[in-house]
Amino acid sequence: MRADLIEAILRRLLGFVLVLLVLSLMIFVLARIVPGDPARMALGPSATAEQVTALQQEMGLDRPVLVQYASYLGGALQGDLGRSLVTNRPVIRDVAEFLPATLELVIITIAIMIVVAIPLGVTTARYRDSWIDNGGRVFSLIGVTIPSFLFAIGLQLLAANFIPGWPILGRVDRTLPIPDGPTGLLLLDSLVHGQGAVFVDAAQHLAFPALALAMASIGQITRITRSAMIENQRKDHVLTLRSFGVPDRVIVFRYLLKLSSVAPLTIMGLEFASLIGNAFVVEMVFGWGGFASYGLTAILQKDLNALMAVVLVSGLFFILANLVIDLILSLIDPRQRRGAPA
Amino acid sequence: MSMTDDRLTEDLAEGRPADTAPLSAGYMTWYRFSRNPAAVIGALIVISTILCAIFAPLIAPYPDHIGTVVDFRSRHLPPDAEHWMGTDKAGRDIFSRTVFGFRVSLLLVVGVLGISVPVGSLLGMTAGYFGGWTERLITGFTDVMLAIPPLVMALAIGNVLEPTLVNAMIAVTLLWWTWHARLIYRVTSQIMAEDYVEAARLAGASHWHILLREILPNCVSVISVKTTLDAAFVILFGATLSFLGFGVRPPTPDLGSMVADGRQFLPEMWWEVLAPGFAIFYATLGFNLLGDGLRDMFDVEA
Amino acid sequence: MPLLDVQDLNIRFTGYGRTAHVLRDVSFSVGRGERVALIGETGSGKSITAKAILGTLPNNASTRGGIRYDGLDVMAMAPRERDRLKGTAFSIIMQDPLSSFNPVFRIGRHLDDILYYADRRQGRVSGAQDRKARILEVLRRVQLSDPERVYGAWPFELSGGMRQRVLIALALLHHPAILIADEPGTALDVTTQDEILRLINRLVAEEGLSLLMITHNLGVVRQTADTVLVMQHGRIVERGPLSQVFEAPEEAYTKSLMEAVPPLYGPRVTDQPVSTQAPIITMTGVDKVYGSGSMLRRGAGHRAVTDVGLTVREGEIFGLAGESGSGKTTVARMLMGLLEPTSGTIEADRGGPRRLTQIVYQNPGTSLNPKRTAAQTLAVPLAHVGLKGAQARARMTELMSLVKLPESFLGKYPHELSGGQKQRVAIARALAAEPRVLILDEPTSALDVSVQKTVIDLLLQLREDLGLTYVIISHDLSLMRNFCSRLAIMRQGEIIEDGTPAEIFAAPRHPYTRALIAAIPVLTDAEEALKPEITDAERHRFLVTSDTDTNEEGHDHVSTGH
Repeated sequence: MRADLIEAILRRLLGFVLVLLVLSLMIFVLARIVPGDPARMALGPSATAEQVTALQQEMGLDRPVLVQYASYLGGALQGDLGRSLVTNRPVIRDVAEFLPATLELVIITIAIMIVVAIPLGVTTARYRDSWIDNGGRVFSLIGVTIPSFLFAIGLQLLAANFIPGWPILGRVDRTLPIPDGPTGLLLLDSLVHGQGAVFVDAAQHLAFPALALAMASIGQITRITRSAMIENQRKDHVLTLRSFGVPDRVIVFRYLLKLSSVAPLTIMGLEFASLIGNAFVVEMVFGWGGFASYGLTAILQKDLNALMAVVLVSGLFFILANLVIDLILSLIDPRQRRGAPA
Repeated sequence: MSMTDDRLTEDLAEGRPADTAPLSAGYMTWYRFSRNPAAVIGALIVISTILCAIFAPLIAPYPDHIGTVVDFRSRHLPPDAEHWMGTDKAGRDIFSRTVFGFRVSLLLVVGVLGISVPVGSLLGMTAGYFGGWTERLITGFTDVMLAIPPLVMALAIGNVLEPTLVNAMIAVTLLWWTWHARLIYRVTSQIMAEDYVEAARLAGASHWHILLREILPNCVSVISVKTTLDAAFVILFGATLSFLGFGVRPPTPDLGSMVADGRQFLPEMWWEVLAPGFAIFYATLGFNLLGDGLRDMFDVEA
Repeated sequence: MPLLDVQDLNIRFTGYGRTAHVLRDVSFSVGRGERVALIGETGSGKSITAKAILGTLPNNASTRGGIRYDGLDVMAMAPRERDRLKGTAFSIIMQDPLSSFNPVFRIGRHLDDILYYADRRQGRVSGAQDRKARILEVLRRVQLSDPERVYGAWPFELSGGMRQRVLIALALLHHPAILIADEPGTALDVTTQDEILRLINRLVAEEGLSLLMITHNLGVVRQTADTVLVMQHGRIVERGPLSQVFEAPEEAYTKSLMEAVPPLYGPRVTDQPVSTQAPIITMTGVDKVYGSGSMLRRGAGHRAVTDVGLTVREGEIFGLAGESGSGKTTVARMLMGLLEPTSGTIEADRGGPRRLTQIVYQNPGTSLNPKRTAAQTLAVPLAHVGLKGAQARARMTELMSLVKLPESFLGKYPHELSGGQKQRVAIARALAAEPRVLILDEPTSALDVSVQKTVIDLLLQLREDLGLTYVIISHDLSLMRNFCSRLAIMRQGEIIEDGTPAEIFAAPRHPYTRALIAAIPVLTDAEEALKPEITDAERHRFLVTSDTDTNEEGHDHVSTGH
């Protein structure tokens, strides 16, 4: 069994490395074949043709795309993602600076999603067609139908008008002593350094962006949990337990809950890419100085190295998230440990 | 055999009388749909949205306000009898612009789904039907594409090329087919386990016949449910793109950029966000309700 | 006073704006220590009756009538009170061992929860250790050799036979007074099913339980009942002691049920003539090995078929018999050219460009495309043999009359047809391709007994009229006895015995064949007496679902890629 598990993980990892390679190649080629000369853009309109050619050679733009890719990949493996045209720093330093903010936002978002969506899905299925069910369905429908940016704006308005003093922009009150490291996740760092005030402030800053980001997926995941529950309620094993007098609440909240969390967790992994996309919008509305904001600037400024890094890191995020979910699934469902591809 | 009671349990679970003559599928489908008011409302909303988009010039009280009209005397007017939803920073009638805004949204839906649904479905069916290397290649490629955040892709392509709706649409389409491919691949794999596909092969049917005549008809209900739900996502997606500034070129009205424009004047000029925001909600709600209704009606997973 | 007394039970289901009257005035009683069998085909209402007694009917059912347990009116009880009877007054042995356990919980967890809540309902507090000890004890009683392992196993790690034993153990956890068995072991192999029935009988005798056996298999009834109730369309149409109902049935329906069961021995047995014509397909020294492990673990692959040699002659009905995992399906697929043998040769007398073989599948529910009418289904093979338009139409009409279906059925979709009718359309489709050999893959096992007989009669008629050759694969030896002209018995990928059915049944040479025949439930004592004698040791040796077998499907159903 252990060997099976390890083999399944290895196979998964191998697949993910392939995904990452293909992904980076695609973006790289795409970025190189589009019109617009990165060297010209970097130097600005006033540069001479010689200057541009010199920079082109320096950047290796005169070599074949695949050779460029190979050297980019070689650099990337050693942590060199090139320089950003906008910040004029190594991209890897930008990533290190901006990533934690987004990471923190996304982790809290996922926590909210799981804590709200799965219990809600289970409860609505348990009390199917009652007012609880209808209320839950309306709630999840609202989550699915309202775009994240409207949620974000709505929450901001709410805070601005009804909750005096509630922060609506940024990650933390800059006048507070911001802890320096070790993780860059403010909630964690402030706890490590024992700064309660910073923790509270950061948590307040985080609450609404995370909620806005979570809402879209909450709707989706509630729906999927609910339909998985209803599907599983028809199964014979429910009849087995019922025939021997195991109470309904135990059947639902123990047996069905575990079985029915497989489907929403799988979807959560797949939807991760959309979650990162929505983070762009939410970060923009809440002035959240994170990775997505950095990505947005990179895109607007045609900063190709930064853009590559953004796509690669997003892909890596997706892959890691799915790896974790695979592990969780294999803990939940022993059948998945036999190496069968999900 | 177990089939005997399988059918029985299934019948009971579905609330179907167990030993009467089998009810016709059409009757049961219609019964499920007509007993589902949400689905009917969804259908009405979708129809009204489409009609709005088609007949926008007839419905909008100020059809010329979709252009570059600037009337500084009537800037930022709150809703009244003359301007039902108020006016924006250039004094244009928001209701008129919202009605026209549906056009862009639906155009995006048609453009994106018109390409990605057939392509995705065909790839999914092909992978599921042929198996082997074809299957590994297609599912592997699909997995790669799933790892790319669509919004990042759309923004990147849109910007590296040119931030237009068409480019955004191309970018979205490049990724959207993956969901359909995945779904139809799964459905096809299930269908492959049934004997009728092999029976058709043995009877001398061509691959083409099997894909289009034996497998596709069994995917239609899943595809239609997924497509309907997807329409809502595409509308949301398009609105998000244009909210970020990658929409159609101004002054053409577009729901997402109208929200972005109006946002600057919050909370005082709330109507400038309300109308386009509600329009997005209205259209996505319609497609969602309809999609859910179709799902219950066909009793499929999508 | 009887232990269980059902009086004028009426049940209606409401759904889709209609009401169906599913049970009509069903009355019967089960006395202390009595064994009662409820026989019926699909839709007879036998399972509904069990659910009504247990109180597990779905919400859209409305019930009228009385159910009394030990004089207490069960129907008048509050739900909590009624729950208290579950597992103690009546226990049910569930029928489908595959899906009867939640796949993401261990077997022990199911048992422990059931015991815990049953204890609690009786106002008894039990410790985890105590419960586990009691559970292991019960598992031992149902002859599971390693109860600790079973307790800690996931459902998918157990074989079908073991899961069925656990389900019996479940029913025994709380010393019920009445055991309700819903088609126990039906989904299992014949030798395993036989073991299960013996076990139930023994437990009922040893613990003095009453038994309500729900089944469609008349042979099972003979082994496990004293009193018989025959149900049809929601009514009890005949009742009486076993000997009376089996030896002198009064109702025409009961008679037809009895006659539909193919006999194993005796005067009713049919011997099919042996063919002496030229061979069509010859297999020599054929092996088949599937797969070769994964990337990291380099395995030897699964050996499905070993050194099989056989000859199918023109005009014969060749039977391949065997239990799950015996390799019979793999052999059939190689005969059809759908699988290549790993080694050995298959020679076929093709005699033309057309496919030599066509197949009729086991499950008519999945062998017809739900989105295509009978006519559309038939059009595919007809086009392949070059018939189009009016010609094709004429041939369709002809085919429908061959399989004895009205022409109007051409316009029907599968869901508008019954199981037997679907199977006839499937036969028509196979015939339309004009094969010389028809492969029959368990062609009747998904059908009710009475329908089985009509389909078999049709197949015999067609062979007579069209001069076809059949290869039938089945686990049903009583069917094979009467239907085949020659028979090969497979076990673990090898043919262990072949000959004419008459030879094999009169004097089976291989001990496995003897065990197989001995396990078949028969209708009369006379047949029982003619079965080969086997010892207990032999019986256990050849149980196909041994404790180490985790997957009863085996590789018997591996399908081909295209």
